[in-house]
Amino acid sequence: MTGNVRRSGPPWSVDLLADLHAGALDARTEAELRPIVENDPEALEILAALDATLDDLRNLPDVPMPAAVAARIDAALAAEARGGAGVVVDLAAARRRKRLGWGAGLLAAAAVAVGVVVVALPKGGSPVGDVAAPPAATPSTAPADSSPQPSGGSAVKIPEVAPGDLGAVLGDVLKAQNYGPLENQETLAGCLAGANITSAKPLGVSPITLSGKAAVMAVLPTGQAGKFKLVVLDPDTCGPDNPNGVLATSVIG
Amino acid sequence: MTAAASSDADLIAAHAAGDPHAFSELVRRHRDRMWAVALRTLRDPEEAADALQEAFISAFRAAASFRAESQVTTWLHRIVVNACLDRMRRRQTRPTVPLPEAGPGEPAAPRDAMAERETRLVVLAALNELPEEQRAPIVLVDVEGYSVAETAQLLGIAEGTVKSRCARGRAKLAKVLGHLRNRSAEANVPGSDVQVQQGRQLEER
Repeated sequence: MTGNVRRSGPPWSVDLLADLHAGALDARTEAELRPIVENDPEALEILAALDATLDDLRNLPDVPMPAAVAARIDAALAAEARGGAGVVVDLAAARRRKRLGWGAGLLAAAAVAVGVVVVALPKGGSPVGDVAAPPAATPSTAPADSSPQPSGGSAVKIPEVAPGDLGAVLGDVLKAQNYGPLENQETLAGCLAGANITSAKPLGVSPITLSGKAAVMAVLPTGQAGKFKLVVLDPDTCGPDNPNGVLATSVIG
Repeated sequence: MTAAASSDADLIAAHAAGDPHAFSELVRRHRDRMWAVALRTLRDPEEAADALQEAFISAFRAAASFRAESQVTTWLHRIVVNACLDRMRRRQTRPTVPLPEAGPGEPAAPRDAMAERETRLVVLAALNELPEEQRAPIVLVDVEGYSVAETAQLLGIAEGTVKSRCARGRAKLAKVLGHLRNRSAEANVPGSDVQVQQGRQLEER
């Protein structure tokens, strides 16, 4: 008789029986325990409880991926397919999102289901409004934070886009949470308010170059699934009191 | 290409051949399952999203070297699980964020009856109680249906370790879920009988 057998009988060790249940005991120990267990109501009760636990786990349904996460991954893969520079995850932005809490994530999820993009240009930018004619935008790595880039990483390129082709950098901007010269969500919200645009936290925001001029773009929700509103702001002039701080807007989707 | 009827292996091959849509189709097919794995492994939806994005980008880049001797789903699972495990290791000292009771952490399927939903939440909460080293094998073996051997391969640990960690985790879950609620505390604690421990399979081989 081994120690295992001496341990058998009330009170049973749940861990011992769980090992038996999982096939984690060596063959000899199992052979010794089996006949005892099979004739002990309490041991059988514990094994039944372990079976019930397995049933609970096996019956957990699949969890549909939230639309916001799916959109983010699609955008990241699209950027990768275009030869994106491989900023897979921006940890600083992720940490910022965590500080904002899961509620912000839900807002982002709702936003991705809809969508708006805002872009800001410095002084001398092109006129506000939807613009036409799309020269090819240069896909690039999405900057994801306004803080200086750490050394050792790939240099972050500023996405470049033409006024009529704002959607060309949608994937890059969606991946980013870089307010650039606008610095934070509050400043961005002020610029949007100046143009009478109300929005939750942008789905993505990034400095861009619009027609060769430095600017900031943000993606905002529209309330319609699969649609994003893109807005271009002039970071030098936009603000709550300037309705002309928005240089270009476009709805995509 | 990228027809809905294409097999996963076809999609991988098409991706390697330059089809720009093939990999996205592959992701669409498997993302719910991968999301469930990531969410249940990491518990934190933000971490799960980060891990999945990282994993899918890694898979995108590595797909050209995929060899057909393993199933695409197994290959993807391995990448996702490894991304999750990397994050688990990195956050060892950081607290985790529990799954919310509503929102992306749970399905919003209308078919769910209230009782079913409550049971699911209880089980998810119970899973959250497990230490990470037990939760990962439990998720893979008991929730996702992987064999002990496959799970050992995915996690890079011995099969005996998978079994014993599953056993520990199930015992805890059985108590948390109320299946063992009438057990006395002393009955749930391993005794001092050294031979019991010796009788258990060696965890690391």
